[in-house]
Amino acid sequence: MTRVQLVNVTRRFGQTVAVDRFSADIADGEFITLLGPSGCGKTTTLRMVAGLVEPSAGTIVFDDQVMNGVPTNRRNIGLAFQSHALFPHLSVARNVAFGLEVKGRPKSDIRQRVDEMLAMVELSDYAERSPAQLSGGQQQRVALARMLATDPRVLLFDEPLSALDRNLRDTLKYSILDLQRRTKKTAIYVTHDQSEAFAISDRIFVMNEGHIEQAGSQLDIYLRPQSEFVANFVGDNNPVHGRVTGFVRQDDGSRLVEVTSGAVRLLAIDTGGLKQGEAAVAFVRPETIEVLERVEQSNNPYVLEGTVEQVVFEGPTVRLMVDVDGTPLLVEVGGLTRLSLIGADRKRIRIWPREVSAVRDRTTVAA
Amino acid sequence: MAVSTTSMAVERQQERRQLFRPGLVFDALAHAYIWFWLAIFALPFLATLFYSLQQVGGGGWSLDAYQYVLGSFRDNLILSFETTVATIVINLLIAIPAAYAIVRFPIPGKSFLLSVLNMSLYTPAAVMGVSLVIAYAFLFHIPQTLVGLVAAYVVGTFPLMLVPIIVALRDLPGVFEEAARTLGASRMQSFFRIELPLLGPGISAGILLTFVIIFNEFLVTLFIAGPATTTAALRVYNLTRTAGFQPSTAALASTMQIVSFLVVLIFFQVFGSRYLKGTYLI
Ligand SMILES: Nc1ncnc2c1ncn2[C@@H]1O[C@H](COP(=O)(O)OP(=O)(O)OP(=O)(O)O)[C@@H](O)[C@H]1O
Ligand SMILES: [Mg+2]
Repeated sequence: MTRVQLVNVTRRFGQTVAVDRFSADIADGEFITLLGPSGCGKTTTLRMVAGLVEPSAGTIVFDDQVMNGVPTNRRNIGLAFQSHALFPHLSVARNVAFGLEVKGRPKSDIRQRVDEMLAMVELSDYAERSPAQLSGGQQQRVALARMLATDPRVLLFDEPLSALDRNLRDTLKYSILDLQRRTKKTAIYVTHDQSEAFAISDRIFVMNEGHIEQAGSQLDIYLRPQSEFVANFVGDNNPVHGRVTGFVRQDDGSRLVEVTSGAVRLLAIDTGGLKQGEAAVAFVRPETIEVLERVEQSNNPYVLEGTVEQVVFEGPTVRLMVDVDGTPLLVEVGGLTRLSLIGADRKRIRIWPREVSAVRDRTTVAA
Repeated sequence: MAVSTTSMAVERQQERRQLFRPGLVFDALAHAYIWFWLAIFALPFLATLFYSLQQVGGGGWSLDAYQYVLGSFRDNLILSFETTVATIVINLLIAIPAAYAIVRFPIPGKSFLLSVLNMSLYTPAAVMGVSLVIAYAFLFHIPQTLVGLVAAYVVGTFPLMLVPIIVALRDLPGVFEEAARTLGASRMQSFFRIELPLLGPGISAGILLTFVIIFNEFLVTLFIAGPATTTAALRVYNLTRTAGFQPSTAALASTMQIVSFLVVLIFFQVFGSRYLKGTYLI
């Protein structure tokens, strides 16, 4: 039941600006993810919300209470660490009970709540074990039970699954989402794994060098990246530097922009109000480029012709490096078509990029 | 079922074969080597023990000498115990907060501070004895008293308590305290419930070192102790000097040795199972 607001939150460590004017308004019960490369300030942001690091500037607000200066233990938050951080000298049950014990709850309440929590993470039979006697996944589940036992206002996760193997990560991320949905608590989840971020968030905040590059839904981030950084960081993309050569109004009223670079003409979603003749960079998703038979779409100006430079069979997909008049494009083909492309080296093929977005080209403007 | 029976048979065969492998000679030598050094280490103690069990006036074995341990030596032993325990308690009360401050807070000139704190470790005992006599006689007027004795021990052994706790605290990941704090524990609660128990190995090592050193300490004691504060170790020395080495003196010496040994053993049994499991100490 808590709305979390960060207003221009900044943190400096000496000369380094770890977090730079981070602002976010997180609705009650919302699940947001901070996604970004190593060192971009995700953990520092999370730790400021937890009160383990004080901001150098800016305000953190829970509902209408300013949290700056409030010690961690009085913020009523739950934090899941990368290493589960279970207390090694206490049993599983005592770990889960810890938060309730320090808050001085009556013994019978504590016992009942611990049972309830362990049942929720399906570890009732492990109550008397020591954390060292559990598997990695079980340890992380105990950590979840421990953080939920005190009924915190906000759930914070700092890459809680990154130390686990892939299969376990996949199941546990849905357990986390399920627990959050059931308890209806506001959650902030830090990760550098985009599939994790895409699977569980209501909203993704892509961070770079301490600031927010873009905040939005999965679709926003993936289809309408607002900066080169986001386009390159999330999924694969072919950047094509060119100029705006026209606009096309679509049936649904939205406007697409035409970006041309030599022989490459692309129709792209415009994410930044581009103007005619302006330098722009278009991003072409390799997996949305269609490979066409010779006869199809023969009068479509956005169908490109190129030479296959390289073919790599990756199992579910085939990756082609296609040269279109000097512009290299990575093409990823799935389905049965991929098999017909094996051994297509040096062949001319026709391709149709379907999912393209474009932003103003800042590198060219600067030059 | 069939498979496991066969594999068991194979294992048994391998075991039998292992009995005759050439490594056996090497193993025997390795064991002999270890036992040789153990014997060298234990020999002086065993000699004293044998001597203490000699009948006075020669001929046969006897426990007679040990009657003095419970008699006139008793007070010395009790005094040794009291001073040792008092020193350990005071050391702990100083070393734990000191180590916490040194490890967790930025203190200017930290390494200089540590060097000063560790001074007694690299000061010759005789020099220290003289210094303490001067300081206690003229500054505090507490020479030859119990307070003076314990104070001297604290000065001498404080680093033995401090250093292992600093090492343990440094090795203790900060994440446990942070986890405790996010769960609602105050700094105090998180220290006493989480960090202190996890410092067990360091604290145990400190207690053990202090005990072993103080209980058997005599050089500094020689300077600082008075007639009313003669510890068991000092008594052994005094007796040897004045009356030669009697079986009764050997009995006291052996008793001290046995007490030290038992304390170490019990300590590892009691604390070992609780705190030291999985550490380098056990
Ligand atoms: N206590 C600290 N002292 C000095 N610099 C720090 C401290 N904590 C973080 N930094 C710096 O702040 C920046 C952001 O660090 P942070 O840990 O928030 O990154 P992150 O996004 O969580 O990275 P990762 O994905 O590797 O965990 C880094 O440049 C880091 O070196
Ligand atoms: Mg991090």
